[in-house]
Order: sequence, then structure tokens, then C-alpha cells
Amino acid sequence: MPVAYQEPAANSLLVALPRKDYQLLHDCLEPVMLTFGEVLYRPGEPIRHVYFPTDSLVSLLALAEGHQALGVSLVGHEGMLGIPLALGVSDSPVCAMVQGSGMALRMSSAHFQNEFQQNALLQREVHRYTCELMAQLTQSAACNRFHRVEARLARWLLMTRDRVRSNQFHLTQDFLGNMLGVRRVGVTRAAVDLRQRKLISYNRGEISILDGAGLEAAACHCYRIVRGMHVVARA
Amino acid sequence: MLAIMSARHSLGQNHLLAVLPEQVLERLSPHLELVSMPLGEVLCESSGQLHYVYFPTTAILSLHYVMEDGASAEIAGVGNEGVLGVSLFMGGNTTPCQTTVQTAGYGYRLKARLMMEEFNRTGGRRSGAFNNLLLRYTQALMAQMSQTAVCNRHHSVEQQLCRWLLLTLDRLPSNELTITQELIAGMLGVRREGIMEAAGHLQRAGLISYRRGHITVLDRLGLEKRACECYRVVRNEFHRLLSDVQSRKGI
Repeated sequence: MPVAYQEPAANSLLVALPRKDYQLLHDCLEPVMLTFGEVLYRPGEPIRHVYFPTDSLVSLLALAEGHQALGVSLVGHEGMLGIPLALGVSDSPVCAMVQGSGMALRMSSAHFQNEFQQNALLQREVHRYTCELMAQLTQSAACNRFHRVEARLARWLLMTRDRVRSNQFHLTQDFLGNMLGVRRVGVTRAAVDLRQRKLISYNRGEISILDGAGLEAAACHCYRIVRGMHVVARA
Repeated sequence: MLAIMSARHSLGQNHLLAVLPEQVLERLSPHLELVSMPLGEVLCESSGQLHYVYFPTTAILSLHYVMEDGASAEIAGVGNEGVLGVSLFMGGNTTPCQTTVQTAGYGYRLKARLMMEEFNRTGGRRSGAFNNLLLRYTQALMAQMSQTAVCNRHHSVEQQLCRWLLLTLDRLPSNELTITQELIAGMLGVRREGIMEAAGHLQRAGLISYRRGHITVLDRLGLEKRACECYRVVRNEFHRLLSDVQSRKGI
């Protein structure tokens, strides 16, 4: 049975491993501080490290020439950055950028590939998480076809809340623009809308969720679907 | 669905099956069943369980997401470059997508249990070439999905139509597509009028010719110029997936 480790915040993908497997990885895992806006990898560049966030939060951004970036997934303590390495590919078509400062456990690509090849349980957990990531990507693709920016903003804020485990967090308008794939004016309009409905307060990059239930009702149902999948997967 | 044996069909028509190592081929080929896939057939419901994995040869499958209000849009396509059933061998419970046959044709299916056995065969040592191929295909599929997201956000209907036509063409042996504008509208999640307008532009520019239910691509290069970069990104992911295998096999 997995043991509850002594870290103040843990990565649940790693915690799902039996203690002995975790101990083997532990020597190669280095705790690092990730800061808001830091780029962990870019499209076309070899991925140098995998990261298992503990209390940090990372966005995966799809890029399009001449346009805002678009957030397609959020990775927090439930997941891992560097999935392409686990799939045998050296780089990613998306960009990984830190959205919430905090800690992560980091391992070099070489170490990870070596450990991964030998550890069937790690493979199983990472593959299972890959399915969760695919479900997020699927949802993002559909969401961006059909849903309005206010509903998408609400969803993104709720996903952030769930992963940082707090109703207060820091998010600049520029960052939100890259999440939502809209320009600043679009972000402002959407944020004002949610603020007028008394669902959030938003001041100088500091967001507070005032009415969680209300925000869930304002979000597109993509939020509930992605959250539901994570719950099922961990059961 | 009919199971047919015919000399016209071969496993090699699917690019993943074409590069199976000898021992894997010997184990699997008695169980790879040729099936006909008629237009519109639903292979898997949203949140359904797959009982088989499918390797299309001439058929093209579409992974759609169906919204609460019934609207739907294609998230990714699966043709002769790939396999349907990634979530199965990756250990996910179900897939949020519904899978339908978008272009009628054939493919090979393999019982889910046998796929899982083969995938897990190497156990802790992931040295299996088939495994590696399936994992790399998973990455290519994920690239398609994230590209669809950004394409839906930023690119015009005309650009999306070009991208979709090109990806479909890559999965077919000729430059003829049998499909209605209505169906394409359903794929892209846009109104039929939007597709008619975009197709009209492409036709006037001499890039395609459309008559009811058939699109002939006249100028592929021209379509590529009009498509958003999403087409190139996805195509490069597919090429990369296979070229590594081919170079290892000395092709």
C-alpha cells in the first residue's frame, strides 16, 4: 500500500507507487523551485528534465504563428511534465510554462528513461496519466470550438484552484491571455464579467474565488468532465 | 460488420502493421481480422469500452467529441497511419470521444485482450519494437489533439478546411474524397454555410472541384499554401513516428 510521505506537499503520481519503487527513484529526484513564467521546454527543443510538481502548477501551451498561445492542459501535483519522453519522443509540440510558482521534483531525461524502462509500475502510472492528459487535450479542442471566453476563463480558474489547493492565486492578464488564446482586451472583458457576477475578485494579478459554486455554474461543463475523469482514474 | 478474407487486402496497408517485427507478426496475424467499415458506423460510443483495437487500411475513422447539446466536432482522425484504441493499451478506462467511420473502407481488428497481452508482453523491459511504435503513435495522436485545439481557436474556416482535406488526402490512395459538405461541417463543428463558402473559394481558386458528395483535389500544393501550419505540424509528427522505425529497419 502506498505510504503517506513526509513532504508537506506530494506528487500523487509518485505517491501511487509502492514505497520500494519510490525509494529507487528518490535518489534521482531533485527538489527544485519553479517560478511563474519559467519555460520548462519549448516545441522542437529536446526535453532535458521531467518534472513532478508538488505545489507548483505548469501550463501546456499550443503555439500558432501570429496568434496568442493557447493553454491546452494544466499539470499540477497529479501529473508529470515530459510525457513525450515516456512515449519515446525527444521533444514536444507544445510549450511547458510555469503558471504557479512552487516546488517540483526533477529528474534528468537520461535518468528518467533509464528508470522508466525498468519499472513496470512507473510505466503503468505514467501511461494512465497520459490518458488523463489526452482527455484534457480532447476537452480543450472541443471547448475552443464551442465555448465562450467567460466560461473558459471560469473553467481555467477552477482547474487552477483544484491544483494549487487554494482560492487565492496570482495570474497576470498576459498569462491569462495565453491560457485563453485571446488578447488582453478579451481577458479584461471576461474577468470583469465574472467580477460583476461576484464570482471572483481580481486586482493587480491577484485572483480570489469568492463563490466556488457560482463559478462552477459559470464554467463550461468541460470543467466537470475533466475533474470527473481524474477522480475516476484515482479510484 | 462483415469479416472478409480477400487477396486485395494486406496488413501492410496499415503503416503500423507494416513494420511489425517478424515474431510479433507471426503471433498476431492469425488474430488480425479484416473487417469492412461502412460510412457512419459507430465503433465506440463516448465513454464506451472498446472490445477491439482497429488498424484502418482504407477506412478513415473520426474521433468526435459530442457536447451536452448534441453539437460535435472532430478531435482527431485515424487512418492507415495509426490505430484506434490508444486509451485501451495505455490503461485509461474509457475515452471521452465517440468514434465513427468517416470514410468507408476496410481495416484490421484485434481483440482487446490480445492487444493488451502483446503490449504487456515485454513486462518491465520495454524493448519491444511494437510497443515503442504504439507509444510513439500515442504522441502523434496527442499532437493532433493539441493542434486541433489551437486551430479551433485561431484559424479561419477556410484554413481548417484545407488542413482537414490534406490530412484526409494523406490517408487515401487517390485525390478523390467521397464526402458531403454537410459531413465536413460536422467534422469541423461549423455551420454548413461556412463550409460551402470556404469550399466555394477553393473551387474558384482552382484548388478543388466539388460535385455532390465528391471532392477532387486539383492542386495539392495550393491547398498546402492556404492551410494553417497545423497541417504541417501534424504531418511532421506522423513522418517522425515512422521514419525512426524505417531508419532502424534500413528502409
